[in-house]
Amino acid sequence: MGAIKIRPKKGIFFTFIAITIMAVFILVSTPQADTSLQKDTQAIRTRISSVDTYVDDLENRYFETVLRATTYKTILSLIFYINSTGSYITDMDSAFSEVMLTGKIGGMPIDSITRKKIMENNTLADWNDRIIKTSKDTLNANTTIIINKVSVFQTKPWDIESLMEVNFTVKSNVAEWKKSATITTTIDIEGFHDPYYLVNTNKEYTNQVKKSTVESNKWDTAKVREHLRNGTYVYWENSDAPSFLMRFTNTIAGSSCCGIESLVNPNKISPEDQRESYVDYLFWVHTYNSRCSELYNITNPPTSLGLWDEFRYFKLDFNHVTMYNITAQDAVKTC
Amino acid sequence: MLKKRGYFFVLDAVLALTVLVIGVFLITSSYVNVPQPAQVSLLSDDLLNFFSNRKIMDLNNPYAGIGGTLWNQGTITDADNSLLQQIGEFYAKNKLDIAEKFIQNVSAGVMPPQFRYEVWMNNAILYPRTPSVEHLKSKNSTELLLTSKKLTFGIINKTTSNIWGPYKAEVFIWER
Repeated sequence: MGAIKIRPKKGIFFTFIAITIMAVFILVSTPQADTSLQKDTQAIRTRISSVDTYVDDLENRYFETVLRATTYKTILSLIFYINSTGSYITDMDSAFSEVMLTGKIGGMPIDSITRKKIMENNTLADWNDRIIKTSKDTLNANTTIIINKVSVFQTKPWDIESLMEVNFTVKSNVAEWKKSATITTTIDIEGFHDPYYLVNTNKEYTNQVKKSTVESNKWDTAKVREHLRNGTYVYWENSDAPSFLMRFTNTIAGSSCCGIESLVNPNKISPEDQRESYVDYLFWVHTYNSRCSELYNITNPPTSLGLWDEFRYFKLDFNHVTMYNITAQDAVKTC
Repeated sequence: MLKKRGYFFVLDAVLALTVLVIGVFLITSSYVNVPQPAQVSLLSDDLLNFFSNRKIMDLNNPYAGIGGTLWNQGTITDADNSLLQQIGEFYAKNKLDIAEKFIQNVSAGVMPPQFRYEVWMNNAILYPRTPSVEHLKSKNSTELLLTSKKLTFGIINKTTSNIWGPYKAEVFIWER
């Protein structure tokens, strides 16, 4: 038997091969820095999502908020304008649009006429500029906003509605959004001064709109007394009263949806005794001046009832005597 | 002589096993040490989304929620405000100390403790208002600082519809 020859050097090759295979395996399996296409996609997705959220906010929240704020300030400015000039507005929609978009009326800054800083930095154009600048700064998105139309109207007696038609584009480095939207909003008229009183009394008698809490079938003389004291307004269905917006243009006609009326307090006018129905929209147009037989003094001297103890010379036409449920013991014919 | 040959095979096997173990160890340890940009990025988005999606009315917090300290003081009046809007409103009204405490309260427990964060509004830092030395050192030395941004705006007075904003709200997050 011959001795087996050992070749110790050969084993090392197997070891080298094993190490090499292992090294290759390690290199292949080791996670690389995450600079793959997948990461890029994730980044783009995040970016698109951020800008998309902004576009959604712009369309569904920002425009509505800004429209509400500027509608309030525009109406307030127009009331101060009427107060300053002592005259009504000729075209409400046109004036509203001009003031809201530019802060001007008839080409003049309305704040310089009213001497109140209401529209300065508060026009729709100003608020659009602000969001354009902030979106550029925050998201590096270029926003373009074009307002096609703004208008104001009423469909309910105690609310003003405004509408804005807008086209806007948001362009980022990954995508572009092009949209059109019609935004509407509603503001409460309570708290605004009634322009009809301002013009007719040359600012001497001002009345802020406040809704009466009396239900239509619960009126009586005592409630009318409170109504007069507080200068509150009431809505009667199918009445001949003008709406709040119609009072800006001296359009004294019945509003099918939104006519509201208040009662003129005789203690706040001069002369106190006038041959008129003291319902605001009838009083200054002298509807009953020549129809004395249809007027009633809300008093009854023999019984000392009625309202003349506090509101001397207060009169109403027959229709309103009926509507306010004033009985014969509280009223007598004027003529 | 024959006995000695067996040792070579055993040694060879041991060597191979060692190489395998080292290899597996290197691979697994390299997995552990991979930085986590995605996680931090998600955290910054998550925190900002938490602020903008959660409303005051949704909070059960004795300081910032309905019936809480700020609510009873009349400092918070609109339960429909998102947390981000409330922070913006505090900033608009220059109530910066309250804003800081508000952020601290509502974000407590939301962020994992190994992360630090800052909340900015309109390029002004609201949380923390006066960063500690460790905070600044940690921010300056971090290898991965991520930010998320959002626009925010709101109404100060509902009757007059006075608006604040739009502001840039920003959250910075990094690992300690």
